[in-house]
Amino acid sequence: MKRVMLRCIFCAALPAVVVGGALLFRERHYAFVSLAVALLALFAFFLRFERAALDVRRLVLLAALTALSVTGRMLFAPLPGFKPVTAMVVITGVAFGGEAGFLTGAFSALLSNFYFGQGPWTPFQMLCWGLIGLAAGRFSGILRRSPPALAVCAVLSGVAYSCGMDVWTVLWADGGFSLSRYFAALASSLPFTAVYALSNLLFLLLFARPIWRILDRFRQKYAL
Amino acid sequence: MNAFAAYHPTVLLTYFLSVLVVSMFALHPVLQAAALLGGLVFCALLQSRRRTAADLAFYLPLFLLIAVTNPLFSHNGVTPLFFLNGNPVTLEALLYGVQIALMLVGVLFWCKCYSKVMTTDKFLYLFGRVIPKLALVLSMALRFLPLFLRRAREVRRAQKTLGLLAAKSRVDRIRGEMRVFLAVISWSLEHAMALSSAMKARGYGLKGRTQFSLFRFTPGDGVLLGVSLALFGLTLAGMATGATRFAYYPRLTAPPASPLGLLALCAFAVLCALPAILEGKEWLTWSFCKSKI
Repeated sequence: MKRVMLRCIFCAALPAVVVGGALLFRERHYAFVSLAVALLALFAFFLRFERAALDVRRLVLLAALTALSVTGRMLFAPLPGFKPVTAMVVITGVAFGGEAGFLTGAFSALLSNFYFGQGPWTPFQMLCWGLIGLAAGRFSGILRRSPPALAVCAVLSGVAYSCGMDVWTVLWADGGFSLSRYFAALASSLPFTAVYALSNLLFLLLFARPIWRILDRFRQKYAL
Repeated sequence: MNAFAAYHPTVLLTYFLSVLVVSMFALHPVLQAAALLGGLVFCALLQSRRRTAADLAFYLPLFLLIAVTNPLFSHNGVTPLFFLNGNPVTLEALLYGVQIALMLVGVLFWCKCYSKVMTTDKFLYLFGRVIPKLALVLSMALRFLPLFLRRAREVRRAQKTLGLLAAKSRVDRIRGEMRVFLAVISWSLEHAMALSSAMKARGYGLKGRTQFSLFRFTPGDGVLLGVSLALFGLTLAGMATGATRFAYYPRLTAPPASPLGLLALCAFAVLCALPAILEGKEWLTWSFCKSKI
């Protein structure tokens, strides 16, 4: 009963936010509604995790995986443009399932922004990386079996992250969503997107297998 | 600057959220200018002068970039200044760009202040009640990060003495770093499992757990919370009734001057100035006490 009620409240909250934002903030309502909806989506995932049965090992494992993906980012910081967070999120999603992938992605964004600066982009970054992890968990079978699929996924996740964050840029810089501005933002971030996709590709093709070997052995050893 | 940061985390979060919501989503040059000015002063109080100067040197070009590029994408507005490739560059679009630039730079300054004032312990204290499991995950990850980095340094040193860390080509360097990273992964995950067993053995997750925190809600906190909520409410009232609704397209139209609109603008300006006011009060008290010695 309580569960059903919570779901109803959640389903009512979405349109309420959209309509309320449009009435209260008028010209800026795109920015408000997008931010509020991103937060609500994150909240739904977090609530699901909070309501599941407590498993201490899972909690600590998630913390370690999150810290590892941010550690990777800092370890490789001397190499410009080589940021393995997206790749680590994909690896985690494949090895431990979509939910772990989502949470690792979302928390990696939050955690690394404690060091690199929080801002209104944080919820979007959390959502972008989280969804990449979730998708990786969904397609874990094929990603493990075939290297070409993994390569496609590497490039796609880099491009998806860039495109997702550019939606944010446009919604914030403009009153609404204008396609010409979106294409301009995509074009100006093209070099970053290319480096991003390339470094994902390199990282996943070279190191996904060794890391999966470690994680699999580990799962077997502790029966996770 | 400690006068403001010493308040209770609940008060601080409420304050930052109310300032950020208005400065992000309102559309009135005075509101945004007040937010930018307040954020700039607050930020200058929190950090060294040189740092502030460096920030200004970074944000000023950003401001100009946003302001100038808007007319290139948006051709709304009725006052063309000149034509570029057959497209009108309008006064309204230029002013709208300035408005958005004010908003973005102001929000960036406030986010900077937020990061400095809402340290991770305050963040975890606030969210430990709402989402206890995830707050635990986050606080453990925050502790793991420096630990793992230290381990990475240890592994790297060991591998260097073994002659495994070549730095000839870029690929070699990535390979070397990766070997270090793989070792850190196994090491940390083993550590994490040992840690979770220890937590279980010590009864984590049992009923009746208490939390330790250094934060206490004092009457002063209550006053600041009340004041900032009241000011925020006034500003929202102004926004909701349209008294502070500025329109840029098709032509620049300011809302008719009304008592409520004026009140909302003043309320928000005071809200943004609160940290500086509190700091000034603290400084006056301190000088007064010193003068009596």
